[in-house]
Amino acid sequence: MKATIAQYYAGDSLLHRLDPRAKFVAVSALAVALFVRDSFAGLAVYAAAAVLAYALSGVPVAWFWRAFRPLLWLVALTFVAQVVFAPGDPFFSFWFIHLSWRGLELAAFLSLRLVVLVLVGSVLTLTTPSMALTDGLAWLGRPLRRLRVPTDELALMVTIALRFIPTLLVELDTIMRAQRARGADFRHGGLGERTRSLVPVLVPLFVLSFRRADELALAMEARCYRPGAVRTRLHPLRAGWSDFALLVVTAAVIAAGLLV
Amino acid sequence: MSGSKAVAGATPDEPREPAVPGSSGMSLACADVSFSYEEARAPIPAVRDVSFELPAGGSLALMGASGSGKSTLLQVVRGLDAPDTGAVLLDGAAPVDAGYAALQREVGLVFQAPELQLFAATAREDVAFGPRRLGWPEEQVTAAVDTALDVVGLPPAHFAERHPYSLSGGEQRRLALAGVLAMRPRLLLLDEPFVSLDPGTRRQLVGILERLKAAGVTLLLATHDVDLAWALCDELLVLGEGRLVAAGPWDFSTAGGRLLAENRLREPFFVELWRRLGRDPQRAPRSASAAAEALS
Repeated sequence: MKATIAQYYAGDSLLHRLDPRAKFVAVSALAVALFVRDSFAGLAVYAAAAVLAYALSGVPVAWFWRAFRPLLWLVALTFVAQVVFAPGDPFFSFWFIHLSWRGLELAAFLSLRLVVLVLVGSVLTLTTPSMALTDGLAWLGRPLRRLRVPTDELALMVTIALRFIPTLLVELDTIMRAQRARGADFRHGGLGERTRSLVPVLVPLFVLSFRRADELALAMEARCYRPGAVRTRLHPLRAGWSDFALLVVTAAVIAAGLLV
Repeated sequence: MSGSKAVAGATPDEPREPAVPGSSGMSLACADVSFSYEEARAPIPAVRDVSFELPAGGSLALMGASGSGKSTLLQVVRGLDAPDTGAVLLDGAAPVDAGYAALQREVGLVFQAPELQLFAATAREDVAFGPRRLGWPEEQVTAAVDTALDVVGLPPAHFAERHPYSLSGGEQRRLALAGVLAMRPRLLLLDEPFVSLDPGTRRQLVGILERLKAAGVTLLLATHDVDLAWALCDELLVLGEGRLVAAGPWDFSTAGGRLLAENRLREPFFVELWRRLGRDPQRAPRSASAAAEALS
């Protein structure tokens, strides 16, 4: 199966061991700072921090690159759009294209900012299993429970959904193979034809998913799951000194980026 | 032969003889077939250098522990995966030969739990999916659907307009089988067709496969059930970790018994009975009626 965008890489680096809540807060704060600060110097500080964090994560470059490659076209699109449409005194004009030094500068800045943003975000998802991330988000969302937002239930839903994505992909593959064995063709024909060819795949997949959801709900009830009840965890989240240190370091980096 | 090939091709002008009764089976040969699944970190070999031959109209049980490569081999034979090395020969034709794609369309593959792939609003529509994809004229599709429903014991008069999901589990399994049979395969591949069926449906399914075999359809049956494999198949092929461990006629000598045990299999019931009765296990009966006849 292909790696989806910045898929978790099992490892045991310092970053892997940090509390997901601390990582999430640090990454969110950095992302906000990235958008607040608009100078190359500030960007350079954040880029250096992101690269350092990435080096600490111990994730192989190939693993990261495979996840990042599909995003390249987005970066390229950002660059081209900025070059073409940015204001400034053009030194070259052709039809609707006006190249200016200001435009080039802006395009370079925005594309670089996007790259750094993706790098920062992927350090989080590369070093944090989705289950831990969901647990962390549920904890951070707890204040919302005063507003009667069922945060724990939402977190459970997300966890279950994530858990079943690989299962559904395997089932999707099996169903597509079975229909191909009966002559189905998903690769040729126009858009309408190809959309119609998905009916024999999507109907069984939906039926199967609903059946599975039904069975899972029954199994959970049989094991005494009650919505709204207080639940304990096998691996309770525990923040330590290193998590505190992460937040301090992040704050320092953000300040440095804002001040240079 | 030439007539059936022409129909399976892109321009099906002549109506074809129904699969049951009296179609000619297709011969199958695998020559050094290997296949690996591409995974993120390293490819996982599933079938390694497997070679065997199955004559037209023959029946072969494909056995081996879970994960030994049975399902993968069936999908490679049907052409859903291209082998990394080696070739699958259909009626002696290699993939490079003209008409190979048409031959592939005459290979039916019944997946594990095929009822999970039913999708249409009526039984008739679901069974008609394959024949329509073959480009057959509508009256021929209707005839093929009716025959297939009859063959699997779901008479069209009662079942054709029912919704597939309103049928029982056993009926759904047989409906899915009809969807494959309607394409009139000359080589039928079945992946664990008996799993989670009640004994009545199981017996019905054995009857259906016996009739297909008698009609000349070549059968390749992947199963864990040694008794049904013995009842239905002339020969045995054992896979172990993707490699061919044994292929050929059933062998109940000491060495043959050891081979079965090593691959988490056992002797069929009637073979064990014959051994315990002091009779030649090689000549054990394949059904209760044959056993009763031999013993009376």
